[in-house]
This record gives sequence, structure tokens and C-alpha cells, in this order.
Amino acid sequence: MSRQASFGAGLWGGALALLLTGCQAGLRPIAALNQPLSGLGDSQSPSLNSNWLALISSRPGSRAQVQLIDRLRHAPVPLPGLNRPDSLPISVAVDQRGERLALVRQRDDRSELVIHRRSLQASQVVPIEPAGVPQRVSLSADGRVLAVEVSRGGLWQVDLLELP
Amino acid sequence: MACTAVTALGLSGCSLWPLRRQPAAPAGLAAESRQQPALSGDGRLLASLVDRGGRTTVLLQERRTGRVLPLRQLRNRQPHSSPSLSWNGRYLALLVQQGGRRQAVIEDRATGQQHPLFLPADQEPQQLSLAPDGQSIALELITGGSRRLQVFSLAAMLEPDRAPGLLESGGGPPLQP
Repeated sequence: MSRQASFGAGLWGGALALLLTGCQAGLRPIAALNQPLSGLGDSQSPSLNSNWLALISSRPGSRAQVQLIDRLRHAPVPLPGLNRPDSLPISVAVDQRGERLALVRQRDDRSELVIHRRSLQASQVVPIEPAGVPQRVSLSADGRVLAVEVSRGGLWQVDLLELP
Repeated sequence: MACTAVTALGLSGCSLWPLRRQPAAPAGLAAESRQQPALSGDGRLLASLVDRGGRTTVLLQERRTGRVLPLRQLRNRQPHSSPSLSWNGRYLALLVQQGGRRQAVIEDRATGQQHPLFLPADQEPQQLSLAPDGQSIALELITGGSRRLQVFSLAAMLEPDRAPGLLESGGGPPLQP
């Protein structure tokens, strides 16, 4: 009986190992991209597409900031006009072209939703109507639809905006 | 001129681009709490988290009509979190509960297959983002008390889910003008 149990456990373990190995074979770290990421300190709020990775990074003693990594060059690109010394980014999303970034940030003790266009180096604050506190943002890869999680009157809601 | 266009749409203040608001809550869901929205690459589908009998559950809907699309494979693996959709919504990646820890999985809505993403025991996924083509995924991992992002290729696991008009890899010769 114990031999049968042992045999069964062995079979199960082998099958599990095979399953794990098989699945792991499909999940391969992209070293060329992970290397620059490891140099950014703590990082969170990823927004990935085949060309770009947007994220929020922070190092001890310095303010968190939005980073946009060019996946072809495996390096961050400058974001003039987006990161401000008086604001703290909370959530970020980028479209497929890397042209539009949607950002929720905290500024002067309030949260605001911002759309940034890289080619114009310009940011637009989008009013939350009815009033609410934005928290997390999603931008469709085609850059045309924005979904934002908003806390409103004790309820979490999702606001949708269509961009031209 | 841009200001006028924005004001006409009910937004206040000057604006660089006109925006159009769409009610996010389709019929029957207006009073329901919804979190962590995720749009498909083409903006057609919306995934969000809702409460179902005290369990945080992912809900997949057509954005314009509110029609709910079935996700049978994900039942009984709540709480769900961090949904992320591919371009046409074929793939839904999210975090589910597996035993005592969170696990990243990808549901293929075309085949009904579920692809679990196994990570080392000392790495706990907190958030994820699936590339719209389904060929890579970024995972926010807690490792040794710090948050790190790592990007993984899924090319050996998933077929591409690209925007219409883009050639599949290995899909034949380029189109002739």
C-alpha cells in the first residue's frame, strides 16, 4: 500500500514537474528589457505594448516619476512636461504609438487625471464630472478610449472618455 | 475653438483636445461598485472588477452595449485582480487566487484554454499588463520587500492577437501594392 502510495506520489510529482517545466518553457524573461528595469529602483503600474513600456519608478530619497521605455532601444526616453516636482504619479497608461500617456497623479492633496501628448510636450488636466477622486487609468492601445477608476460618494465607478 | 468644442461637450475649462464622455455603467450595473478597468487594444471591450456574493470577480463587457461576455474558466478562483486585455480581447490576463497565493493566468477566449504563469516561490505578482498583441507581459513582482517589474515573452505560448490588417508572423508573403 505504501509502495503504491509512494509510486502514485512519484507519478504525481513527475507530472507536476513536467507541467511546470512545460509552462515555464513558454514564459521567457526578456533580459534586454529587464536589465534597464532593474536599474530604475522600485517600479510599479506597468502599461505594456509591443513598442513601449510605461511605468512609475521611485528610488529612496527621490520622488516617484513616470518612465517610458522604448522597447526597441531598451532605454527610457525623455518625457519633458510630464513629470512635475509638485506631483506624485499614481497610475499611468500608454498607447501603442507612445504618443498619448494617461496619468493619474496627486498634486496639492488632490488627485487629477491628465492626458499627455509626447509630440506636443503638452499635458491636459481632464476634469472628473461629476466630481470624484481618480485612482487608476487604462488607455486603449489605439489611443482612442480612456477608462478611469473614480471614487465617488463612497462607490468605485468607471468613467469612460472617447478621445479624438 | 478647442475650448468651444470641449465646453459644448460638457467639460469645463480650456482644452487642447475635445473629449466625449460615455456612461460607463451599462444597464443594470449603474449602482454597482466597479474597479480596475482595462480596455482591449481596440477599445471595444472593457474588463472591470465587481463584487459577486462578496467575492471580487472580473466582468467582461462590450463597452458600447454593456453586453456581458462569459468567462467560465475563472469561476471559483476569486478574488480576481489586475485584468488586462489583448487587442481584440481574445486574451484576458489577470491575477487569481491559487491556494494561498496569487497567480497570473491568461485565458484564451477563442479556445477556452487557460495558461497559468508559474513564478518562483519568492516572487508574488501584484499587477500585470499584457501587451495588446499577446506576445509579452509585464509583471509587477514583490521580491524581498521591493516592487520590481519584469517583462516576459509569451511568443512560445500564445498566438498573436493583432489589430486587423497586420500580418501574422509567418503568415505568408507581404501584400503586393
